[in-house]
Amino acid sequence: MLNEIQDALLRGKKDEVAALVDKALALEFPTSRILNEGLIAAMEKLGEMFKNNEVFLPEVLVSARAMSAGLAKLEPYLVRDNIQPKGSVVIGTVKGDLHDIGKNLVAMLLKGAGYKIIDLGVDVSAEKYVAAARENKADVVALSALLTTTMVQMKKIVEAVRSADLRSVVVIGGAPVTKEYADQIGADGYAPDAASAVEEVTRLLAR
Amino acid sequence: MSDTSRELVHQTLTFASPARIPRQLWVLGWAALHYPEELARIQERFPDDLVTAPAFYREPLKTEGDAYLPGTFVDEWGCMFENRQRGIIGEVKEPLLRKWKDWNKVRIPRERLSVDARKVNEFCRKTEKFILAGGAVKPFEQLQFIRGPANLYMDLAERPEELFLLMERMHKFYREELELWASTEVDALFFADDWGSQNSLLISPGLWRQMFKPLYRDYIDIAHDHGKFAFMHTDGYVTDILPDLIDLGLDALNAQLFCMDIEDLGNRFAGEIAFWGEIDRQYLLPFGTPEEVRAAVRRVKAALYRNGGVIGQCEFSIGARPENVTAVFEAWEE
Repeated sequence: MLNEIQDALLRGKKDEVAALVDKALALEFPTSRILNEGLIAAMEKLGEMFKNNEVFLPEVLVSARAMSAGLAKLEPYLVRDNIQPKGSVVIGTVKGDLHDIGKNLVAMLLKGAGYKIIDLGVDVSAEKYVAAARENKADVVALSALLTTTMVQMKKIVEAVRSADLRSVVVIGGAPVTKEYADQIGADGYAPDAASAVEEVTRLLAR
Repeated sequence: MSDTSRELVHQTLTFASPARIPRQLWVLGWAALHYPEELARIQERFPDDLVTAPAFYREPLKTEGDAYLPGTFVDEWGCMFENRQRGIIGEVKEPLLRKWKDWNKVRIPRERLSVDARKVNEFCRKTEKFILAGGAVKPFEQLQFIRGPANLYMDLAERPEELFLLMERMHKFYREELELWASTEVDALFFADDWGSQNSLLISPGLWRQMFKPLYRDYIDIAHDHGKFAFMHTDGYVTDILPDLIDLGLDALNAQLFCMDIEDLGNRFAGEIAFWGEIDRQYLLPFGTPEEVRAAVRRVKAALYRNGGVIGQCEFSIGARPENVTAVFEAWEE
């Protein structure tokens, strides 16, 4: 059953995934197994395939949509069984920047990996990041920027997170961003692409 | 007498040992706003060898707003862009065709076919520069504007009938637009689509070959049937489709060389297609030093030049330093 869920998810079949999750619930599979060994395991495989250029954005997006369909079926049971996400991530595109294709992809893959996502959208100020991180007790604050002129906002946000004495780690990414820049502004992590972002968040939270 | 710009570019495209590498600077509005004097100096010192012909439209394009000012801009297809910064173009946030039932919201911008060919030809005759067609043929990009990127990628995975209908309408229009430009005295037709992310294609090479390669085949054939060269721009890593573009007969490709292995590109493709720039606008031009920029230009030349086949193009883009842009053209003259 769990293999069937994985297989349907990897083929991007949302109705099939939703129906299989229903079936698994009806057969009284443990909620945590459906989540971890069905949905998340498939998304992990997908992330690996994406990283290795075995699948591309079209396949990733239909699979992520199938993941959401399965998760929607599962959510009441996750609440009932008090199953917590792996961590919570406040994510957004920094102030002055409206580009969000990469940010949305990272959010999608993190959600698929079992993280709770608080997506603040685009053009997000340091104050808004800090408020959301505090309100949601975020483990991670994830910043995206496409422009060389807006990436400088990342430094302000890192400083704001530190000044607010939050426990969140800060991860950054986007076209002009480099590991050197992340180090320079004191960010905790950096991801050169969407697939690596999941690995980076997992690495940072395992520390 | 020295060769004209047009002759230099011809020799470059045919690997006939031009006397120098032809050059072209692309300027984002941001650069003109932030560095007007420096930009003027660069343009005076290193004039472009390639220029784009104005379209001289007899009917105004049905756009609203200014694409490069903060606020909203509606393009000629009806797609609305939001922007926060002067000098750059924004992004579509609300796709025009979120649901296929909204089909009638998509308008084919037929006023783009009102190009005044007589005036274009006059323009061509008055200059010795190599002239690219105006126009904006960009099927993949415009599909993303119309459907929204996420919807379009899912369409490409699922291939609903409506996608093919939309692509067919768009392609028919683009063919007409290119046929029109091909009937003028421009030297080359031009089309663009960003196909790469930082380190891979956005869609699989197989899907690209199935869905998009045939479109570009038609565009390139139109150019060649009329005795024109075919020029294409694309961003990101595109190594995996370069053999296909060469197979189609593309003459010049403007690509982000620094997202790819430049030496590998040279080993595999130099002499088969002309590389129309660029020099890294993501990291080197904004953050590098002039010496690093010069080294990058030398690297590109060493890898890709084969008795031609290289156009010294770069973009004065957001964040770029004028001294680095200058260094690009100084290095091409070495």
